[in-house]
Amino acid sequence: MADVKLSGVHKYYGNVHAVRGVDLSIADGEFAVLVGPSGCGKSTLLRTIAGLEDPDDGTITIGGAVVNDLRPRERNIAMVFQNYALYPYLTVNENIAFGLRARKTPEIEIRKRVGEAAEMLGIGNLLQRYPRQLSGGQRQRVAIGRAIVRKADLFLFDEPLSNLDAQLRDEMRSEIKRLHHEITTTMIYVTHDQVEAMTLADRIVLLRDGKIEQQGAPLELFEQPRTGFVAGFLGSPSINLIPATLKTSGTAAEAVFKSGGSLTLPPAKAALLSGAEERQVLVGIRPQHFSRAGGGGPLREGVVSYSATADLIQPTGTRTFTTIKIGGVDAVAELQAHDVTNHGERIELAIDLNRVVLIDPASGLVIA
Amino acid sequence: MTVSVSLNGAEQRRPSRFGRMLEDRLPYLIVAPAILILLLVGLFPLIYSLIVSFQRITMTENDTSFVGLLNYAELFRDTRLWASLGHTAIITAIALPLELLVGFLMAQLFIDGMPGRQIFVALLVLPTVISPIVAGATWRLMFDVRFGPIGQILSFFAGEPVRILWTVNPAYVYPAIIICEVWQWAPFMFLLLLAALSNVDQSQLEAAEIDGASYLRVLRAIVLPAIAPVIAVACLIRGLDLVRIFDIIWALTEGGPGSMTETVSLYTYVQGFSQFETSYTAAISFLVIALLTLITTLVLKRMELTR
Repeated sequence: MADVKLSGVHKYYGNVHAVRGVDLSIADGEFAVLVGPSGCGKSTLLRTIAGLEDPDDGTITIGGAVVNDLRPRERNIAMVFQNYALYPYLTVNENIAFGLRARKTPEIEIRKRVGEAAEMLGIGNLLQRYPRQLSGGQRQRVAIGRAIVRKADLFLFDEPLSNLDAQLRDEMRSEIKRLHHEITTTMIYVTHDQVEAMTLADRIVLLRDGKIEQQGAPLELFEQPRTGFVAGFLGSPSINLIPATLKTSGTAAEAVFKSGGSLTLPPAKAALLSGAEERQVLVGIRPQHFSRAGGGGPLREGVVSYSATADLIQPTGTRTFTTIKIGGVDAVAELQAHDVTNHGERIELAIDLNRVVLIDPASGLVIA
Repeated sequence: MTVSVSLNGAEQRRPSRFGRMLEDRLPYLIVAPAILILLLVGLFPLIYSLIVSFQRITMTENDTSFVGLLNYAELFRDTRLWASLGHTAIITAIALPLELLVGFLMAQLFIDGMPGRQIFVALLVLPTVISPIVAGATWRLMFDVRFGPIGQILSFFAGEPVRILWTVNPAYVYPAIIICEVWQWAPFMFLLLLAALSNVDQSQLEAAEIDGASYLRVLRAIVLPAIAPVIAVACLIRGLDLVRIFDIIWALTEGGPGSMTETVSLYTYVQGFSQFETSYTAAISFLVIALLTLITTLVLKRMELTR
């Protein structure tokens, strides 16, 4: 068990500045997920924590001790790799026991721990097989087993689920979460998949171009993104960003689209806006904040009605994604399964503007 | 000239019977010349020398009558032949593991991205590129007792003149041959093993490092099993070459002193082209072919078992 602290960590690959001054502090027992698009430096950062890469600057502390000069084996960490990295010429049993044997653990203890881990992961019947005789999901379990028998201070996962098919991925995701509840070791998990990040994390660390864009609890990042990038990265389908001119006067604010039409912002949002009377913004509306306007009754505070033509219709079974036009650009609305059925259908929508996000297009920062 | 134009596809002109036959056999016709040449250059000499080995052709006698297994029976009485096979075995048994070991160590040295790696690799491979007879001649000069740099370097370290007759002194001829052989062919092992080592899955090595495994454990559990097929093939290639070793020894000692370093290839050459015992030479050749076939078959079988 250990906490992890990074301060001012930089990493260069030749001319590429992969990690640009990351300060990060992960509490003991926390499940932190490093997430971001490919090339954002998340894997590099994880490998730096593991000791597989040396940082060019900054310090890394695990459990209160600076580990910069320690080899990976001396950091008492365990890691699960994207391609599992099982030892192909050893049986499952030998694979799981490898780290214990390397550390001269007594045979009795090894047998006990391997047995426990195998039972926990449901691979007890596979112990005598070789990795090539296992399916992807089973290999993943063995890789996790190899990590947990070590009783390491810190678990590192490098995109462990990306080689699995969708169904297995969901299954293993829950297992990893359950595992964390059971063994409560500090875990750092790298993924590019925002769903994995949202579902697993105690804390999401969103990286962009080698820097931390924002970190916090999953819902905090989702609901209060600090930048347009964060708003766009989290959520599926991703947030609709519609260019508009924001006109504020007194306590009222209105987003006027170039192609005509406008949305009146609720007073709570308008109150957050100050200064400029008129400015360019991106209006961010999540697909989930659309709904079919029903009954013609009075709308809630901050909810506006909008009439649109359903362009593309993508049913997923539980929900149906519909592409509509707002302010001249395509936007996706997530509706109930049977809310819209026909291409070209005219639909009355309600948009909940209480949770709208306004972004300054120049700086990318969220302004309200 | 007629041009048939099919308008609806149903009217496609059917090929004649001869045309169809030609079409069916065309692939065979195309490869036939190549097969013929292969048979002519590969198989004909083999069969011809097999026939010769059952005759009694020498320089003075062109006796083409068949004498049965006479030449083969003679093989078993020929102590010089068995001695030469022994010399071959000694050289192979020492040089092959040495080449493998030196090649492996060199590959290990270079696998971790040594600076200037490309230039070094190119330089190191040079010995393998030159002809063995040139290598032998070069080393003969290197070993030369009066002008050779080896003697001078040894003298420098010993602090007194060291005069070793590398190519004559019975105690030093084998070391001389093996040094030259390993110098020339360790780079070959190096190249193959370097390629094999760079294919070892990096993340497995990283996982082992995190697991805290020692170098020897990683070597035994991960690296060696991964490169074993390459090692086997490399040893097979070099082993077969070593059994046929000729040029280096010819240049260094000519099989001497006496017949002390005479390998089976040298002996065959002497029998064939100094003694002109043509039929007997053919019999020796077939003995060697039989031996090599046996070794190759055993090794290949073994490799399949480990797969």
